[in-house]
Amino acid sequence: MRQNQEEFFADIARELGAAALDVSPEARRRYGENTTTRGTRDVLGVVFPKSTAEVVTIVAAANRHQVPIYPISAGNNIGLGSRAPVRDGQVVVDMGWHMSRISEVNEELGYAVIEPGVTFQKLHDELVRLGDRLMISATSGPPLGSVLGNAVEKGAGYGPHFDHFGMLCGLEVVLGNAEVVRTGEGSVRPDKVVNWHVSKYSFGPILDGLFAQSNFGIVTRAAVWLLPRPPVIESFHFVFPADDDLATIVDLIRPLKMSNFVPTLFRVCNDLYAVGTEETNPEYERTRGRQSLSVDAHTALRAKHGLGAWQVSGAFYGPSRAALAPMIERVRAHFGRAQVGRFVSHEEAQSIPPLNIAIDSMSGRPGSAELALLKWRPGGGNTWFTPGIPMSGKLAQELDRLGRAIYAEHGLDYTIMHVAGARFARSLHVLVFNRNDPDENHRADECYRRLAREYANRGIGVGRAPIDYHQEHMDMLMPSFKATCNSIKRALDPNGIIAPGRYGIG
Amino acid sequence: MSTDHFSVQSADPGLAEAKTIIGTCNHFGFCTATCPTYAITHHENESPRGRIDLIRIMLETPGAPAPQTVRHLDNCLSCLACVSTCGVKVDYMHLIDHARAYIELHYWRSWTDRLFRFLIAKIVPDRRYFGAALAGGRLVARFARFMPRQVRELLEAVPPASNGAQDVTAGSYRAAGTMRWRVALLAGCAQRVLTPQINAATVRLLTRLGCEVVVAHGAECCGALTLHMGRTSEARASAKRNIDAWIDEAERGGLDAIIVNASGCGTTMKDYGHAFRHDPRYHERAQRVAALTVDVSEFIDRIGLHAPSVARHYKVAYHDACSLRNGQRVTRQPRRLLRSAGYVVVDVPEAGFCCGSAGTYNLLQPQIARQLGERKSRHAESTGAAMLAVGNVGCITQLSRYTQLPVVHTVELLDWATGGPMPPGLKGRRIQECIMHPEASHDAAGLISASEGETATGIGVW
Repeated sequence: MRQNQEEFFADIARELGAAALDVSPEARRRYGENTTTRGTRDVLGVVFPKSTAEVVTIVAAANRHQVPIYPISAGNNIGLGSRAPVRDGQVVVDMGWHMSRISEVNEELGYAVIEPGVTFQKLHDELVRLGDRLMISATSGPPLGSVLGNAVEKGAGYGPHFDHFGMLCGLEVVLGNAEVVRTGEGSVRPDKVVNWHVSKYSFGPILDGLFAQSNFGIVTRAAVWLLPRPPVIESFHFVFPADDDLATIVDLIRPLKMSNFVPTLFRVCNDLYAVGTEETNPEYERTRGRQSLSVDAHTALRAKHGLGAWQVSGAFYGPSRAALAPMIERVRAHFGRAQVGRFVSHEEAQSIPPLNIAIDSMSGRPGSAELALLKWRPGGGNTWFTPGIPMSGKLAQELDRLGRAIYAEHGLDYTIMHVAGARFARSLHVLVFNRNDPDENHRADECYRRLAREYANRGIGVGRAPIDYHQEHMDMLMPSFKATCNSIKRALDPNGIIAPGRYGIG
Repeated sequence: MSTDHFSVQSADPGLAEAKTIIGTCNHFGFCTATCPTYAITHHENESPRGRIDLIRIMLETPGAPAPQTVRHLDNCLSCLACVSTCGVKVDYMHLIDHARAYIELHYWRSWTDRLFRFLIAKIVPDRRYFGAALAGGRLVARFARFMPRQVRELLEAVPPASNGAQDVTAGSYRAAGTMRWRVALLAGCAQRVLTPQINAATVRLLTRLGCEVVVAHGAECCGALTLHMGRTSEARASAKRNIDAWIDEAERGGLDAIIVNASGCGTTMKDYGHAFRHDPRYHERAQRVAALTVDVSEFIDRIGLHAPSVARHYKVAYHDACSLRNGQRVTRQPRRLLRSAGYVVVDVPEAGFCCGSAGTYNLLQPQIARQLGERKSRHAESTGAAMLAVGNVGCITQLSRYTQLPVVHTVELLDWATGGPMPPGLKGRRIQECIMHPEASHDAAGLISASEGETATGIGVW
C-alpha cells in the first residue's frame, strides 16, 4: 500500500474509529467482485460512515491524501457492477450499514425522508407498520436494494411512481470538495424545513439532476414521494403466441397509457424472461453454451408454463373489485381487437409464478423471485443492456429482430423485458453467461458491445450501463456533452476523488 | 491448500454433496444482506457467502479446521434467510449441516465446550432429563449472581415453569363427530416440557375439526437439535425411531398426515428422505414420512377452519419462524387462518430476520441471540399489537425473554377462537380488543390493504 493510502486509512481510523474501516483481504476481494465480463476490481479497503458529517470527514481525508473513493448504498447492483468501483485502486464508502435511517414518514403529505442504506424492504416494512396507508414503488429486483441508490441511478418501478428519480424531492449532498449542499428549499433555512420535500421548483437552478448517474457528489439523504395504497389492486395479463406480436402489443399499450387509462406501466416479457425464473437452460450441456436456445426448446418451455412469446401485464388501482371490473373488461375488449392475445385473470396469474412477479411489483411489495433469472446458465455471469424504444410498434419490432439476431450470432439466449409507458419503453436485455468459460465470457462481452454499437448507430442510447462500458457509452456522446460533464466535475470535485471513471466522467 | 484432499474425502457421499453445493455458489451476494450475523457485523466471514468459502477451504485443507473457521460457522443460525434470496438457490441448508458434522469429527473443542454441547445434546431432546434440568435450573437461578458469566447467561435462558398446562400422552384422540381424517401428531421433546399447552390445543382443535389424532408410541425428538450440532448419528437414531413409529401407525390404521406444530421439527422431518438417501433400508420409509409431514397451519388451511364461536378482535403481530418461512415456505396459511378466526393480523417489520432462537443457538451463542431477540422484540412491539403469534416453540421461548407482549402459538389462538380455553400465556394479561375491522388487516402476500369498498381515506380517494 502506498504512503498516501496508509495515511488516509490512519486518518479515518483516528477520526471515525477503527471499526469504521475494513481492509481485510476478504472484504477487499468481495467488494471488488462483480458479475460483468471484465470481472473483479482491486479495492483498497472499505469505510463505513454513520452520518453526513462522517461522509464529509471521509471526503476531506480523500482530498488531503488524493485517494479516490467510491460511494455505494445498499444492495447488489447486480449485472451493472455490483459494489465494485469502475476502476482499480479505489476505497469503497459503504453507506448501507449504518446510514439506513428513515428519519421521517409524513403520511399527510406522502413522503419519507431516507438515507442511502434504507432498502425497499425496510421502507415497505415501516409503511406497513404504520398502517399500510402508503406504498413504495417496488422494483422487481432485490428487496434489499437501496431506494435512494436506485433512484439516483435512474432505476424505475412499475406503478404511477415508477420514475424513481422523479419521485425524489430535496437532496442533501456532500460534494467532492467536502461542502454540503441541499437542493431546493432545503437551503433556505437548514434548521427549518418547510417545503424542502414537497416542492422541486423553487428559486434558482434545479441542481438535483446533477446527482443522477454522476460522480459530482455523494447523496446522503433525500425525500421520496409515496403513493397512497389503494384498497384493491387488480392485475390483468395477456399472453401472445408469436415473436412478431411485439408491434401489435406496443401499439395496443400506447393509447391506454397516453390517456392514462391504466395507471401502471406495462411489463412486456418475452418467453425466456418469464420462464427463466423457473428453469435453467435445458440445452446448455448439449451445446456447451455455444448456441442460442433452439426453437423447439422455446416452444416446449412456453407450453410447459402455459405462456407465450410475450407476456403483457398491467394493473388497476381502485376502491373495490366491483369498481374495477368494468375497467378490466374495457382493457380486454381493447386487446381483443388483436384477436391473438389470451387474457389471464388476476386469480389465474397468482398461480403462475412469472406473472405473480408482476403482481407483487405493481402492488408495491418487494420480492426476490426474479433473481432466479440469474441461474439460466451456470457460471454466474450477468450483465444488462438497457436501451429504450419509442412506443411505436414498427420500430419496436425492427429493434427486436435486431437484438434477437445479435444474441443468436453470439450463441446467447435472447431474454428481454420492455417496461412500457405512453411514449417510451425501457428495454431490459439480460445477458446471462458462464463467466468461468473464457469463450462464453468473451462472447457476452462482444455481444454487449455489438448491441451498444448497433443501437447507437440508430441514435439510441442506454438507461443504465454496466461499469465495464461506462467509458464506451460516454465516448458515444457528442464531445461537448463529455466536456461539460468534466467541467462540472472539476468545479465540484477539483481533485477528482469521487468515483473517477464512473459514467465515463473524470 | 489441496483439492486432492477434498477429492479423497469426497468418497464420503456427504462431502461429495458438499463439494457439489459449494460449486453452485456464484458469489452474487444477495445472501449477505439477509443474513442476521452479517447485518450485525458486516464481516464477510459472518455471511453465507463467506462461510461457503470457509467451508470450501476447510474441506480442501488437511488437518483440523482453523479455530476462526469454526467460530464463524458456529455463529451461523441456520435460519436459511440466505436461501430465500439466493439467485441460484444454493442448497445452504445441507451444506452447513455437512460442515457442522465435519467439525464435530475433526475439530477438538475445549473440554468445557465439549461438556456443554454433550449435555445439551443429551438433555434437551429427552423430556425427562430436560424437565429435571429446568427444575434444577430454576432453583439455581436464585443464586445466579454468584455464578460465572457463562453459567449466568445459561440460567437467564431458563424459562419460568409452564402454567400447569397438561401435556398430551401417547395414544389416540377421537374426532368430535364424524371422523374425516386420521393424523399423527409429533408431540416432540422440549416443547412438551416448555409449553405443553401447544400440543393440548392442537389436539383439541384437530379433533374439533373432525380428525382422529394419534400420538404414536415411540415417536419423540425429531433429531433436529442434534443434527444442527453436527451430531449426525444421534440425529439419525432419533429420526429412525420416529419413522418406525409412524410407519407402524400408518400401516395399522392409515394416516392422512403427520402434523407438526414446532416448525423447526417440521423442516427436519420434511427432509427425512434426503437424510436417509444412502440408507437402502430406511430411504423409502423416510420418504413416506416426509411426504406425510405438514405444519399444523398447512393442514388446517387445507381442511378448513370452522367459523369462530366468538370473534376475537385482537391485533396480533405474526412472527414468521425461520424454519416455517425459509425452511418450509409456509407464510400465507397461518395469517389466513388467524384472520379467518377474527384476529387482526399485522406483520412484524424485518420479517425475514431470525429472532435468535434457532434451536440450541440461544444457548450456544447467547450474545448474538440476545441482540437478535431484542431487535425482533422491538419490531414486534412497534406494531402496537396486543400479542405475538408464532408457530415454533423455540421462538416463543426466545421472544418471551425480551418482549413485554404475550407470545402464544398460532394454534392456541385458533383453538381459543373456536371454542377452546384462553391460552395460558394470555391469562392475567390485559389485552385490548382492536377497534379496527378485521378485514382492514393486510395480508403480506395478498392484495387487500384497506377495507375493500372504501372509496376514500385521509390520504387517498379512489
